[in-house]
Amino acid sequence: MSYRVNSEFKSDLKKFGIAEQWNECFHCGNCTAVCPLTENGFLFPRQGIRVMQMGLKEKLATYVDPWLCYYCGECSETCPREANPAELMMTLRRYLTSVYDWTGLSKKIYTSKWWEFGSIIIIALLIIVGFLIYLPLKSGADAMVNQSGSVMINSLVEGISAGQFVRIIEIGDWTMAIIVAALLISNILNMFYKVILSDNAVKVPFGTYFTEFWRLIYNFATQAKFSKCDDRNYWVGHLLLMTGYSIMFALVVIALPLFQIEEIVPWYNWQRLLGYYATFGILFFLIQVTIGRIKKQDTKLKFSHPSDWLFIIMLALTTITGILVHIFRLNGMVEATYYLYIAHLAVLVPMIVIEVPFSKWSHLAYRPFAVYFSRLKKAAVKKIEYQRELAPAI
Amino acid sequence: MEFQPTIVSFLCNWCSYSGADLAGTSRMKYAPNIRIIRVMCSGRVDPTFVLKAFSEGADGVLICGCHPGDCHYHEGNYKCLRRFLLLQKYISQMGINPNRLRLEWISASEGKQFAQLVDEMTEVLIQLGPNKFKEITQPA
Amino acid sequence: MKEPKIGVYICWCGTNISHMVDVKAITEEIGDMPNIKVSRNYKYMCSDPGQDLIISDIKKHKLNRIVVAACSPRIHELTFRKAIENAGLNPYLFEMANIREQVSWVHTDIEAATEKAKSLVIAAISKVTHHEELERRTVDINPATLIIGGGITGMTAALDIAESGFKVYLIERDNKLGGVVSKVDLTFPYMSSAQQLIKSLINKVSNNKNIEVFFNTKIKEINGYVGNFETKLKLQKKARELKFGNMILATGLKPTDPESIHEIGYGRLPDVVTALEFEQMLIKGNIKTKAGKEPNNILIVHCVGSRNEKYNPYCSRTCCMTALKYSNQIRSALPKTSIYHAYSDMRAFGKGCEEFYSQTGRKNAVFLMYDQKNDIPTLRRAGKNDRCNIIAHMYEKLSGEDIEIPADIVILMISMEAHENVKQVAHAAGVSICSNGFFMEKHPKLDPIATTTDGVYIAGTCQSPKDIPDSVSQARAAAARILTSISVGKVEIELTTAVVNEDICGACHTCINVCPYSAISFDEEKKVSVVNEVICKGCGTCSSACPTGAISARHFTDKQILSQIEGLLAVSNKLSEKLEMEEV
Repeated sequence: MSYRVNSEFKSDLKKFGIAEQWNECFHCGNCTAVCPLTENGFLFPRQGIRVMQMGLKEKLATYVDPWLCYYCGECSETCPREANPAELMMTLRRYLTSVYDWTGLSKKIYTSKWWEFGSIIIIALLIIVGFLIYLPLKSGADAMVNQSGSVMINSLVEGISAGQFVRIIEIGDWTMAIIVAALLISNILNMFYKVILSDNAVKVPFGTYFTEFWRLIYNFATQAKFSKCDDRNYWVGHLLLMTGYSIMFALVVIALPLFQIEEIVPWYNWQRLLGYYATFGILFFLIQVTIGRIKKQDTKLKFSHPSDWLFIIMLALTTITGILVHIFRLNGMVEATYYLYIAHLAVLVPMIVIEVPFSKWSHLAYRPFAVYFSRLKKAAVKKIEYQRELAPAI
Repeated sequence: MEFQPTIVSFLCNWCSYSGADLAGTSRMKYAPNIRIIRVMCSGRVDPTFVLKAFSEGADGVLICGCHPGDCHYHEGNYKCLRRFLLLQKYISQMGINPNRLRLEWISASEGKQFAQLVDEMTEVLIQLGPNKFKEITQPA
Repeated sequence: MKEPKIGVYICWCGTNISHMVDVKAITEEIGDMPNIKVSRNYKYMCSDPGQDLIISDIKKHKLNRIVVAACSPRIHELTFRKAIENAGLNPYLFEMANIREQVSWVHTDIEAATEKAKSLVIAAISKVTHHEELERRTVDINPATLIIGGGITGMTAALDIAESGFKVYLIERDNKLGGVVSKVDLTFPYMSSAQQLIKSLINKVSNNKNIEVFFNTKIKEINGYVGNFETKLKLQKKARELKFGNMILATGLKPTDPESIHEIGYGRLPDVVTALEFEQMLIKGNIKTKAGKEPNNILIVHCVGSRNEKYNPYCSRTCCMTALKYSNQIRSALPKTSIYHAYSDMRAFGKGCEEFYSQTGRKNAVFLMYDQKNDIPTLRRAGKNDRCNIIAHMYEKLSGEDIEIPADIVILMISMEAHENVKQVAHAAGVSICSNGFFMEKHPKLDPIATTTDGVYIAGTCQSPKDIPDSVSQARAAAARILTSISVGKVEIELTTAVVNEDICGACHTCINVCPYSAISFDEEKKVSVVNEVICKGCGTCSSACPTGAISARHFTDKQILSQIEGLLAVSNKLSEKLEMEEV
């Protein structure tokens, strides 16, 4: 099957990041030569740039390699034409996110600032208004301070008990998690369809689906591909973020009744230790990346799409509000604790609902699955080659 | 040691000698058995030259000129061809295998063809063995 | 004849010769031979110290014959002749043995190569022993110049010569001047008008009183030699005889016939056009399909007929940049049209060309690389749902994908071939043709304007494909060479002509019949053949035909060549005798 070239594709792609630079590329292949991912027959990223230049949309949809790239930036540093292949691949990942998303929201959020900020603000307002109307601060809440002087956070709302409050938040969390997971899983299935099923050249041996499955888990947990980049500092930061965030997510969604308790337990208790670790991990990452994006010295952080900044700001706001809630609680500041709690949720919820299935956060699923799919493809190609070897020579 | 024939070769200045030079500048490798004499035109190759070469012990004689129609002097190569055909008959009557005498067209751009020609002719002469004509004409 | 005192000089040519030939051993062995007064070897004989070595030896040892064993005589024979002449010796008392092009560069066995080199040197010694002093003759140069081809190259050269006050005959086979450039709209990379360029040249040529233009004219035959050529023109009304001292061949190019390239649908699909046909669209300012519609997609196929063993193995040099020029022109005329380039390699070597490539790439053109060797794009008529006229299929080399390209117009960048009349012109002018059909230059690097025939120069695309600046440079270079020779006014010609020994001429007329130049006539009074040395070119055919040996070719006499043969076989004879002795 042959793919139709399309010179209009450039203007489509430009909205996801950069595209103009690809004009500079004359396919010397230096990028491929320095890429830590390079193996025999693996022509990343040069081949991808060619497919982009030609606008072969159907081919790009099957193209899984950009997800294996962790943007070490060596290709862009080596490029003699300053075509910026690394950022082209980043752009391609944003584009592919919109390709996998069947709802079409991803494309709108990536390519339009109105959609991006509008959707976040609407969700944030819903949370704030909902809280103020349905879960208002009760009168006489000043008394909700226990003997050690900290705020009893679950007992600040008018008309409901502490247990009920935790229950409501927990139901909210689970609803959010299920919606997000459903969207994400359906997008991954879409990705699977596009990458594996619709690529006619690939027939994956059935057993491989199981034998290669461990790679999914392994890569999700260790981000081993990221560690291949020569500069490992960002891998450390990213690993801290990933583990910190996962812990926080688990504490908030799965273990909320154990985490969000009325008493402030001593600092050496597991809830607090895990919470501090998560906060430290996220903060470390935030500081590292913010400084990098402002300084623009590291290739991978030179170029910032609006969605990159939005991600940092949302994450920072979530973290800062979370820390403030904790501090205010410890100091017995009841009203401040209540309002900061609302603010915390008003950034946290839109961040997860918008960014995880539709935007930057989605890579948490696409990347490990891409490793898995690419192994499947490789196995399929190997099988074809093996069959060719067996076939009698004509 | 395997028999190594000696080939005396007459190359015209304009096409074939340049062709042989081109084989050199292109660093093509060929058998070292050939000895080249430059003449202005293949039409200058006098039958006595060929007979002299055989009687002095050459195992083969190769004449090269411009391709038909390309002669620098319009038609010297045609004259050479006529003499060659007669000469082949003549030498065979004298007991020399006519395959020891060859006429080929080599243009100034045919370095590769020249190198191949030398190798091929050397191979043929090795098969034919040494030329005994000298022993008959110049008994010791 | 004086007793020969021979000096033999063997060149190392750096290591070019000495790595394969035992130069020192040959020098020693030769030194023991009779008549050899001096035998030396030196790193570079052609260098000034190398030449000085010969000169001082001639003076010191009163040498009267010189042999240099080095590169091809076609490269340095004249160098050494001049050196010998400077030392006061007749330059023809010299012979060269070619032990580089014909020994060290082509053989791999040191022993065999040394033996061969030695026999070549001995042959040269044997020959030079019989060399005679020859006098050179100078002839006056006719200041008129013949230029064949009225394109930009021919006209530029004509103007340079005519503006210096000398006569130029400009021969054009067509009925108007201008050549291919007159069929072009703009020129790359600066997008200036080719029409303005060529029109002003045509005006200048037409108004120059020193230039006589012959339209619809072809050259059949040219006689004479440098300084004194002549030709007869058959014009419509009368015959005309021209005499001139030099000539420039500027016969130009012929675009490859695109129908001969079967992968391309030229002639089969209406909207497939050649570059020159597209130039016409551009000149008219009307880029439309045959159906009169504005094209949404234009595909430019590069290298059609070039760089492909099946058609022409060489690069036509101008098509890449011309294609980029189209890209720019289409982009400004039709801002929304998609432009696709199917290319096999992008070559942007000229001044301003790489920059031009970069700029064009930024103007939204898609570059698609095809595999020239195996996969020329194939074109087919598009289906109803394709929303275009033509679909091109190709394997895109850099991505490894089979792709299809929608197109409404396909432009073929067809290759340049030498004009179909080159063979005839080459024959008339006495120059060679290279394997690709272009005129062959004297030396590919050091003398790309001259040919092996003195007084005949080649310029422009008849020598190899080239663009306007290169053609014009060659034209002006050729004109400068001719103006130099006109200003000197005389030229030395070689006296390696035939000469008759009247004592033994049998009056058989054989030589008269074989001479291709009718240079030999019969003296009825003396009853002998007489050679006209001005007309004789020294091919020697008469000498081989003469039954009595009365007529001989100077510098290639029977005696010289026969002793050269003896010398050539001396080494192998000695060797075989030695072998026989050992066997006994």
